[in-house]
Amino acid sequence: MSGAFLSVLLALQTSVPPALQHFHAGVEAEKNGQLDTAVVELRKATELDSTLAVAFADLGGVYIEKRDYSAAIPPLKRALELNPGLNGAHRLLGYALLAQGYATEAIPHLEQAHAEDALGIALLEAGKLPEALAVLEKALAQNPNDPELLYYYGRTSGLLSKQIFDELEARFPDSARAHQMMAQDYAVLRDVPGAEREFFEALRLSPQTAGLHLQLGELYARAQQWDKAEEQFRLETGIQSGSAEAFYRLGEALLQLGKFHEAREALVHSDQLRQDMPETLYQLGKAAAMDGDDTTAQKSWKHLLSLEKDTSLASQAHFGLAGIYRKQGKHADADREMEEFRKSQSKPAHTDDSQK
Amino acid sequence: MNQRITRRHFLEACASMGLALPMPLSLAAPLSMFDVKHPRGLDFSHVNSPTPQKYLIETMGGGVALLDYNNDGLLDIFLVNSGRLANPMHAPETFDRQDPRNWNRLYRQNRDGSFTDVTKEAGLANAGDGNYGMGVAVGDYDNDGFPDLYVTNYGKNTLYHNNGDGTFTDVTAKVGVETGGWSCSAGFFDYDNDGHLDLFVTRYMQWDTQHSKICGGEWQTYCPPAEFPATTNILYRNRGDGTFEDVSHRSGIASIKGRSLGVAFADYDDDGFTDIFVSNDGMRQFLFHNNGDGTFTECALEAGAALTADGKPLSGMGTVFQDYDNDGRPDILVTVLPREDYALFHNDGNGSFSYRSLQAGLGLLSAASSGWGACLEDFDNDGWKDLFVAQSHVLDNVEQIDHMLHYKEQPLLALNHNGHFERGDSGVTAAIAGRGAAFGDLNNDGWMDVVVTSLGGEPLVLFNHGGSGNWLSISLRGTRSNRDGLGARVQVNGQTRYATTAGSYISASDKRLHFGLGTAEMAKVEIHWPSGIHQILEGVKTNQFLEVRELEKS
Repeated sequence: MSGAFLSVLLALQTSVPPALQHFHAGVEAEKNGQLDTAVVELRKATELDSTLAVAFADLGGVYIEKRDYSAAIPPLKRALELNPGLNGAHRLLGYALLAQGYATEAIPHLEQAHAEDALGIALLEAGKLPEALAVLEKALAQNPNDPELLYYYGRTSGLLSKQIFDELEARFPDSARAHQMMAQDYAVLRDVPGAEREFFEALRLSPQTAGLHLQLGELYARAQQWDKAEEQFRLETGIQSGSAEAFYRLGEALLQLGKFHEAREALVHSDQLRQDMPETLYQLGKAAAMDGDDTTAQKSWKHLLSLEKDTSLASQAHFGLAGIYRKQGKHADADREMEEFRKSQSKPAHTDDSQK
Repeated sequence: MNQRITRRHFLEACASMGLALPMPLSLAAPLSMFDVKHPRGLDFSHVNSPTPQKYLIETMGGGVALLDYNNDGLLDIFLVNSGRLANPMHAPETFDRQDPRNWNRLYRQNRDGSFTDVTKEAGLANAGDGNYGMGVAVGDYDNDGFPDLYVTNYGKNTLYHNNGDGTFTDVTAKVGVETGGWSCSAGFFDYDNDGHLDLFVTRYMQWDTQHSKICGGEWQTYCPPAEFPATTNILYRNRGDGTFEDVSHRSGIASIKGRSLGVAFADYDDDGFTDIFVSNDGMRQFLFHNNGDGTFTECALEAGAALTADGKPLSGMGTVFQDYDNDGRPDILVTVLPREDYALFHNDGNGSFSYRSLQAGLGLLSAASSGWGACLEDFDNDGWKDLFVAQSHVLDNVEQIDHMLHYKEQPLLALNHNGHFERGDSGVTAAIAGRGAAFGDLNNDGWMDVVVTSLGGEPLVLFNHGGSGNWLSISLRGTRSNRDGLGARVQVNGQTRYATTAGSYISASDKRLHFGLGTAEMAKVEIHWPSGIHQILEGVKTNQFLEVRELEKS
C-alpha cells in the first residue's frame, strides 16, 4: 500500500487515538516488511474502531502482500462498505477475488479502479471474450512490452477465434467454411487424408471460395506432393487473380517440379502484385538461375540484398550469387559472395564444426 | 508373389497374338522392371536388435556385396549382419557375434540360380566380438585375381583375404587396416595409380554406447547426428607388399572432420587421378580433389558440391559418382532425408558442379522419401543410366511423430529419359526398411539386377525382367593398372562409366561395367586405364560379356 495514499485518507478519518496508534504501527511495520506484525497491529486497529475504513483496506493489502488472498477479501469488503469510494480498495479486492477464481465478482471492482490489465484477465476468465479483447488491447497500448499482457491478449484472441469457429460449426455444420475449418484442424495434425476430404467437401459446396485451393495446396506442399500442390495453387490464382501469395506459392511449386520458365512467370506476377517481398525475390532469382538466366537471377538477388542483410534469405542470395560468379569465371566476386555467405552461417554444421 | 504383368510376359503375349511391337520395349507402356524373388538357399535375416535405448547404430546397418568370390562366373552375395544389443549395453560389448544368427553370411550362387550358405567353410563365421556390423567393400587388394572383403563395423573393421580356394583369412592386424570407432561405407581405389588398390573408410561420428542419448522428448527417437561430435575418415595406402599404411593425415584426408556415411570415386576433373566424394549427414559434403602427389584438397564448397542450391546442408547418406547425362563427366548423387531432395550435382566440366536435382526431376520423386543405397545403372538398356534407391526413414517411429512421413518405403526406380528422371514401376509392392543396395547381373542375362537389404529383415532380390535393348558387360583385366582396373574410365557408344565397386551405401557392387545400348548392334569401346594407357576397341559385338586386358604398352 502506498504511504501517501494512507496519509491522505488518514487525515480524512475520525478515529479514537488508540486505534490510530495501532494503525500507525501497522503501517510502519508494513513499510519495514514486517508483514505479520502489520497484520496484528492493523487487526487491533479495526477491533478498536470498526469504522476505520483505511485500517480495513490496509489490512486487506497486507494479506495480499502475504499472498493470503482469502484472508484479504473480508477486510477489503468491509472497507468498501464503510467507504465505497476507496478506489485502492476496489483494486485490491478485484485482485484478491480474481486470484481466488471469482472473476465475475472481481470485474466491477476492477472497473471501478480502472485496473485494465487485471480487468482484461477477469473478463477473459469470466468468458466475456470480446470485452476482454478490447480491454487488453487498451492495456497493451499503454504497456506494449508487458509479456503478461501479450500472453493474455494472445490467449483471448485464440479462444475468441475458437469460440467463433465452434459457433460456425454448430450453426452451419454443412457449410463450406465449416468443412474448411475442419480441414485446417486435420492439417494441423498432419492428417493429409482427413484434411483432403474436408477441403474437397468445402470445395464441392463452394468452389469459388477464396483461399480454399490455397490452403489445400499448402497441405500438399507440406506433404511434398508438389504436383498436386501446383494444381491447387493454379486454381487459386484463377479465383484470386490479385493474390500475390497465390502466385508466389504457384511459383514455388513449379520450381520444385523443375518447371522453371512457368515458375518465373508466376513469381514475376507475384512480384508485380506485391513488390519487395524478399521471399518472392529469392525464389525468382533461383528460378531464373535454374532456367539459365543469370542476369535476372543476379538482379533479383541483389535487390533482395538491398532489402535484407542479415537474414537466412540474404545468406542464400550470397550463396547463389557466388555460384553464378564462379560459373562466369569471376573468381574475386565469387570469393567475396562466398565469404559473405560463410560469415552469415552461424550454425556449426556449416563451417566450424567441420574443421579439425 | 508379384501379380503384375512382366516385360517378358507382355512380350510373350504379344508374340502369341501375332502382334508387332510398335517401339522398343524399353520405351513402351510402363511395366514393372523387376521380379521380386526369394532364391532357394538365401535365408539371411538381418539382426539389428532395436532397444528402448535408441542406440544410433541400430538403425544404420547392414550392407551387401555382389562379388564372384570363386571366379566361377556367377555373382555371389555377401550380407553383413549387425548383432545383438542389450538394454542397456554393458562392457564388454560382444554383440553375440558368435551366435550363428548374428554372423555375416556368404552365399555362393549355384548354376541353377539357387544359393548355398558357405559362410563357415569360407572362414567368415567369425565377425569378431565387439563388432556391430555395418558394411562391406570389395577389392582385389593383392592383385591375385580373387576379390577380398573389407567389413566395416562399430568396433573394429576386418579385412578378409580371399585365399583363392573358397576360403578367406582374417588378415586385418597383419596388413594394418584395423580402424576403430564407427565405420560405415568403405571402398577400394587406386589413388596413386601404382597398380595397388588403396582403401578409404568413412566414419560416422564419435559415438559409443556409453555416451548414447535419446532424443525427441516423449517420442523417444534416435538422435540427429549433430548431437555427437564429428570425426575423421581414414585413407590406407597399399604398399604393394600386402600391407597398408594409414596416410589419413599425410594425405590431408584427416584434415577435416565429418559425419560420413557414403563414399564414391571418380576422376571428376579428368587429370588422371581418382578423386573422392564423401556424403556427410547433416552437414556439408566433402569432395577430396586428388592433387596427384599423394595429397588431397577438400574443395566441395568451392566446387559447388557441398550444399543445396539454397546453401543448405544435406542429410547425406548414400552416394554415386557416375555420369547420368551422358556428357562424359561423372556427376554426383547423394541420397538424403525427406523435405530435402536427393541431391544431384552436375559436373559442369571446369572443376565445378551445379545443383541439378530439380532440373532432373528429383524434386517430385524424392522430396517425401529417405534414401540410402543407390546407383545409376541402365536397367532398361536404353543407353541412359536409371536411378535406383533403397528407401526408409531413419526413425522407426516417424509415423507417430509426423503422419506425412513413412518409416518403411518401397525402393525408388526412376527411369532416365535424356537426363530427366521419371518414376518407373520397380515391381516391388511391399514397403521395407531399405538400407544397403548392391547392383549387378546376378543371372548373367545382360540385365542389371539388385539386392536391397532391409533393416532387421530379409533382403530383397530383384531380378530384371529384361527386354529388347542390347547391352555390353565389360570386365577389366589390368596389367599395369590394378588387376580389376578400378578407376578406369570406360566409354561405350557415347556413354561413360567409372570402374568401381564402391558407392551406394555400405555396399559393394558387381565390378563388371554394364552398358545398355538400345538398338545398337556394334559398339566402340574406349578405356582410359589408371596407368594412363588409352585403349580402343572398334566393332565390338553387343550382347556379350567382354573381358578387356590392359595393353602392356601404350
